[in-house]
Amino acid sequence: MVRGKARPWYASAEGAGYLFLLPWGIGFLCLSLGPILWSLYLSFTDFDLLTAPDWVGTANYVRMFTADAKFMTSVRVTFVYVLFSVPLKLVFALVVAILLNRGIRGLPLYRALFYLPSLLGASVAIAILWRQLFAGNGLVNQFLAQFGIEGPSWISNPNYSLWTLIVLAVWQFGSPMIVFLAGLRQIPADVYEAAQIDGASRWRQFVRITVPLLTPVIFFNAIIQTIDAFKTFTPAFIISNGSGGPVNSLLFYTLYLYQEAFGYFRMGYASALAWVLLIIIALFTAFAFLTSRYWVHYDE
Amino acid sequence: MINHIGRRQFMQIAGLTAVTAGLSSNIAHAAADRLRLIFWGGQARADKTGQASAIFADKTGIAVQNEFLSWNDYWTKLATQIAGGNAPDVVQMDYRYITEYASRNAIAPLDEFVGQQLNLDDFDEDQIQGGSVDGKLYGISLGANSMACVYNTVILEKAGIELPQGGFTYDQLYEYADLFKQAGLPKGISVITDSSGNEQVLESWLRQRKKALYTADGKLAFDADDATEWFIMWSKLRDAGVCVSAEDTALGTGPMESSMLVTGKAAIQTDNSNLLVAYQALMQDPLALAPFPLIAADATGGQYRKPSMFFSIATSSRAKAEAAKFLSFFVNDLEAAKVLGTERGIPCSEAVREALAPTLTPLERASLEYVSSLGDILGPIPPSPPTAAGEINQSVLANISQQVAFGMQKPDDAGPDLVQQANELLSRS
Repeated sequence: MVRGKARPWYASAEGAGYLFLLPWGIGFLCLSLGPILWSLYLSFTDFDLLTAPDWVGTANYVRMFTADAKFMTSVRVTFVYVLFSVPLKLVFALVVAILLNRGIRGLPLYRALFYLPSLLGASVAIAILWRQLFAGNGLVNQFLAQFGIEGPSWISNPNYSLWTLIVLAVWQFGSPMIVFLAGLRQIPADVYEAAQIDGASRWRQFVRITVPLLTPVIFFNAIIQTIDAFKTFTPAFIISNGSGGPVNSLLFYTLYLYQEAFGYFRMGYASALAWVLLIIIALFTAFAFLTSRYWVHYDE
Repeated sequence: MINHIGRRQFMQIAGLTAVTAGLSSNIAHAAADRLRLIFWGGQARADKTGQASAIFADKTGIAVQNEFLSWNDYWTKLATQIAGGNAPDVVQMDYRYITEYASRNAIAPLDEFVGQQLNLDDFDEDQIQGGSVDGKLYGISLGANSMACVYNTVILEKAGIELPQGGFTYDQLYEYADLFKQAGLPKGISVITDSSGNEQVLESWLRQRKKALYTADGKLAFDADDATEWFIMWSKLRDAGVCVSAEDTALGTGPMESSMLVTGKAAIQTDNSNLLVAYQALMQDPLALAPFPLIAADATGGQYRKPSMFFSIATSSRAKAEAAKFLSFFVNDLEAAKVLGTERGIPCSEAVREALAPTLTPLERASLEYVSSLGDILGPIPPSPPTAAGEINQSVLANISQQVAFGMQKPDDAGPDLVQQANELLSRS
């Protein structure tokens, strides 16, 4: 033992801990916090990537809310998408999870199969596949033709294109489904047995036992899926080839942001758009948390 | 003990210094004997460019490192690289963006190299003009092309149509549609692509009416009445089944593989003459070129010889002289020309064209002859478009033409709408 000499700071348990955290810390400061603050600054500037940023105060934000029709379009497209795709996806995921939870044979296989689409989730390949399926002479219309129905070109008609993407989102129900399955497994079987003895119907069991005990999981899934839906980019980008068309029907918020930033070199305006999106998502999440105590039940 | 450590430290420092010195001398060297080049395009262009670069390296000892991307990814990457101060020495530039990049000082004027490293003695005057912004030369045209209808000869033959060499009129399109119906062609083939949202076709149409897209000082050179008439004309063509439906047109926004010509939805595709070879590579039926439609049989001046793309030198480049040498080689060297062919358009040097002619494939010769035989319908090259032109094309014109095609806006409203939105963008940039 060396005596009289203080051990160097990095040899203590705490010091070593910080040392191990350092790579993450540097990454967080340089690759997350730094760019975040920089983008906040840029959102008050006119910045074209090629020349130095030019301070314009709140002009970007003012323009967004008063003089930008495309901003309003992109907000509307995104809200329709979130409001329809998230609840539908959750209901679908829950129904399939309950079916799978009945202990059917080959459960792992089904679980994997249903999870696969969300694994491929936002991939380019899936978007291209979707484009093929829903094109004018795609598989979907060939199927409909069997029944004498002549379908439109789903992805290139502004009346249907957004709904096609909502169907795509619902189809990728795998990841909330897995979480639901885990949640269902947590509900003790004896609760159901007791209910059966009392003569409760299956529906009553579902409404009175399954749903209340599952609310924390529903809450979790709803928040994650909502945030994800607000950030949707890849399918719209691929299917419309970056244009947001036809007739801006697929002009998602993030796609519009991308166009402004990299299509037209308005980095300052795009940064402002990004901050508004952050605030919208934060408001949604805060709202969910505030109302959660009225409907989310945790074990006491 | 201390002495020993000191010596080890000394050796370490000495070693480090040596390594650093070696590195920095390498970097200093790199500016002179290695150039970086970035361009957009497909594999075929990349192969040809790589071969030409190898010849340049043999002759000068200057290696050229090539990088290529698709059109969409290219502009994102280039803008980011320029912002980061590490743009390649030589960058491929487009007619649409050259004003923007030049006015923001991202690409360097080349005048000081002309007559020195850069030989333009034999270069077409209109192509030099096309690469100039505010009287300074910013881009070396890599080839001339012109707007062209790329058409499927088999389908037109079956319908009994022979496209006249000097161009066909918009009115004739209705006759062609009738012939299509009588010939019993497979269902779903239209005569021509819906070009109401195609900036080039609009420009050609305006020029035949003695107007233009933009004035030399970057203002709109047509009015709401012109635009309304334009949308009405296409609505009529659409209603008569002459052009491709709105739904199908919206499917063809991307690569050539999904174009209406290749997918068999249209017999005539409006595009650029240098793309004939690329379209043919994707199709069995033989293709050929004709000028854009005319507003009347004797209309003139609609077409022009446009620089298909430029090479420019980044302002941040530390090897501008070497880069200028490379540019000169690329457009003048006969060995390079044989490798490059007409993939980037018709070479702009008379000597290169003459040397190249016997080596061309029939298809390449067809595009060369097309550009050189336009005659009266060829007009002067317009001034390079203003900064907002790209956005007006992609965001405003494309969107309004789709709105009209899908029946969400009347042609009468679409004209004023186009002019108003375009003016807004022009005044904002």
